[in-house]
Amino acid sequence: MAEDSRGDPACGGMDGRQDPVPSSGGFSFPEYELPELNTHAFHVAAFGELWRGRLRGEGDLSLKEPPGDREVTDSGCEDAAAARDLGCSLETAAELRAVCGLDKLRCLEEGEDPEVIPENTDLVTLGIRKRLLKHREETLRIDRACRQETFAYEMESHAVGKKPENSADMIEEGELILSVNIFYPVIFHKHKEHKPYQTMLVLGSQKLTELRDSICCVSDLQIGGEFSNTPDQAPENISKDLYKSAFFYFEGTFYNDKRYPECRDLSRLVHHDDCLDKTLYPLIIKKHWLWTRKCFVCKMFTARWVTNNDSFAPQDPCFFCDVCFRMLHYDAEGNKLGEFLAYPYVDPGTFN
Amino acid sequence: MGAPSGLKDDCEALLSRFQEMDSVRFEDFTELWRSMKFGTIFCGRMRNLEKNTFTKEALTLAWRYFLPPYTFQIRVGALYLLYGLYNMQLCQPKQKIRVALKDWDEILKFQQDLINAQHFDAAYIFRKLRLDRAFHFTAMPKLLSYRMKKKMQRAEITEEFKDPNDRVLKLITSDVLEEMMNVHDHYQRMKHVISADKSNPEKSINLIKDDFFENIKNIVLEHQQWHKDRKKPPLKLKVKGGEEKSERNSQQSERCERAESLAKIKSKAFSVVVQASKSRRHRQVKVDFSDSESGQVQTKTTRKRRNKETLKPAGRKVSSRDRGDMQNIHMEDKSLSLSMPVVTEEDEENESFSETEFTAPKRRRKQRTKS
Repeated sequence: MAEDSRGDPACGGMDGRQDPVPSSGGFSFPEYELPELNTHAFHVAAFGELWRGRLRGEGDLSLKEPPGDREVTDSGCEDAAAARDLGCSLETAAELRAVCGLDKLRCLEEGEDPEVIPENTDLVTLGIRKRLLKHREETLRIDRACRQETFAYEMESHAVGKKPENSADMIEEGELILSVNIFYPVIFHKHKEHKPYQTMLVLGSQKLTELRDSICCVSDLQIGGEFSNTPDQAPENISKDLYKSAFFYFEGTFYNDKRYPECRDLSRLVHHDDCLDKTLYPLIIKKHWLWTRKCFVCKMFTARWVTNNDSFAPQDPCFFCDVCFRMLHYDAEGNKLGEFLAYPYVDPGTFN
Repeated sequence: MGAPSGLKDDCEALLSRFQEMDSVRFEDFTELWRSMKFGTIFCGRMRNLEKNTFTKEALTLAWRYFLPPYTFQIRVGALYLLYGLYNMQLCQPKQKIRVALKDWDEILKFQQDLINAQHFDAAYIFRKLRLDRAFHFTAMPKLLSYRMKKKMQRAEITEEFKDPNDRVLKLITSDVLEEMMNVHDHYQRMKHVISADKSNPEKSINLIKDDFFENIKNIVLEHQQWHKDRKKPPLKLKVKGGEEKSERNSQQSERCERAESLAKIKSKAFSVVVQASKSRRHRQVKVDFSDSESGQVQTKTTRKRRNKETLKPAGRKVSSRDRGDMQNIHMEDKSLSLSMPVVTEEDEENESFSETEFTAPKRRRKQRTKS
């Protein structure tokens, strides 16, 4: 791991809030620059070390399943550990285990459905939720998640708790996870306040190149060229292969690559419930949903061609799926009919 | 997705009722929890995405009360609340509690305080959360966003759960008092030394009342006591039965009597300085030391923030306390007109603050954004 302790006493101590960083200047301790909005720039590796320094040896960093869930634990052993940690007697520890048991928090009787809101509740939250449910019952014919909601949930949770097949691919304890937000570069008026974006989880130990490769941008897939005469010969090479150079620009420094990341969100230490398979990172957990452009003719399939100056088309430019495109513009032998310019089209919604 | 969920109201209701219990025992908390059926807050057929979002929001909200500047009791209540929410949530796997690096040291200190004070149940609960690995160790308390949300919500601190901001006690601390005493003694000794008649210092240099220091000390202690006293009875005003009420009344009349007699004594030594209204603060009467006869003391005006606080829009918890507070002040005011607020002052203060109070609900009425 790149940020393993370099043996530098200044870094990762238990004292002081602003530990000096060996190589780069600036903070390692995250502090708000504007409250609730953003922080000062801080050194990510040093920050990770600050946490690890505080938690090492305490079991907080472990990625194994915690024993707590299963009831079959040695309570005597547990009590002894508790007594030791809290400085109380064994009897007190046993008493605490009883007093603080989860059964003391249960509010529903045996057999009561956890999904049903109880009748006479004083909770404001439940009152609001009840009204909402009632409203849904009255106005919706079918009450289920729409595609976007399902999509968003799937993205958020698809990799949770995944363990790698190969144990060498397991994430190390104390690894940092950064959540990076990548914003849609085009400036539409409707996006002024609320730009669509994707969120990517990256491991602290991964390289910027891996991050770059994991970003799905439709521009990478564009195929340059006019192909009305040779529709079957759209080249193998896509833009991604042709235009290799790119840069990242973070806090005044260029890291050569070619995308538009606008904001780097913040980091945390890895948890046993996270996706623990190294090979799945950078891991995308949130994507903006883009409506795909459909073929003008059938309105069913996603557009794959766009034409200009098309004598057959009612508008310029006009979008077609592959089948409709060929049916309209070429005869049975494949000869070009009429006048038009045709370009392969890759819809941004391809990545949905 | 922008509508208020009622979480803040419910959590604050729970915490303020816990505060009234005047206990930090988990047993008492769970009694309250069960009576409110707080665990059912997750019921209602939420779909997965909403469940996640709601649970995250609940944990984030409860977490805020766990950190300073809230009072010890509220912080313990928040710890119990976190424990309850974390364990009763319906998300699988469980949503975690975010803890930022800057807060961790404070939390460990809190844990140690709990152990030292032998609040073993609270310490046990925190330890259990840690063993269950309920925490995500993060850079900042919440995920930051760059123009991702339409409106920025600024976190408001619930004033009722804070220790009141006592400027008098901040200014005149025990250190200050001690130093004052030393200076005073030294000064008296000097006067003796430089006088012709060693046993009796010159009358012409009698510029300060001899018991000045004693009086200041008493006033401050008096103030401290007043603060303590005004905290409790208004809370018990929530009608638990006629007995409580009459208890409170007799408590109050006792205090009033005592306060009255004290005031009489003091008014002989000091003349009363009425606190000027805000608009006329610049013309506040200031008294100086030059007149040895009446020995007047410069009074500091303490802004009683608590009364302004009781006017917060969240209706429920406020009403009876409000009444109680107002009554208290009114009575005490007649008898102890020192650095205590004058009732008319309150109205003016309230008026000037009502604007800010009214904007708060507006802010809360978030627009429904497309989810």
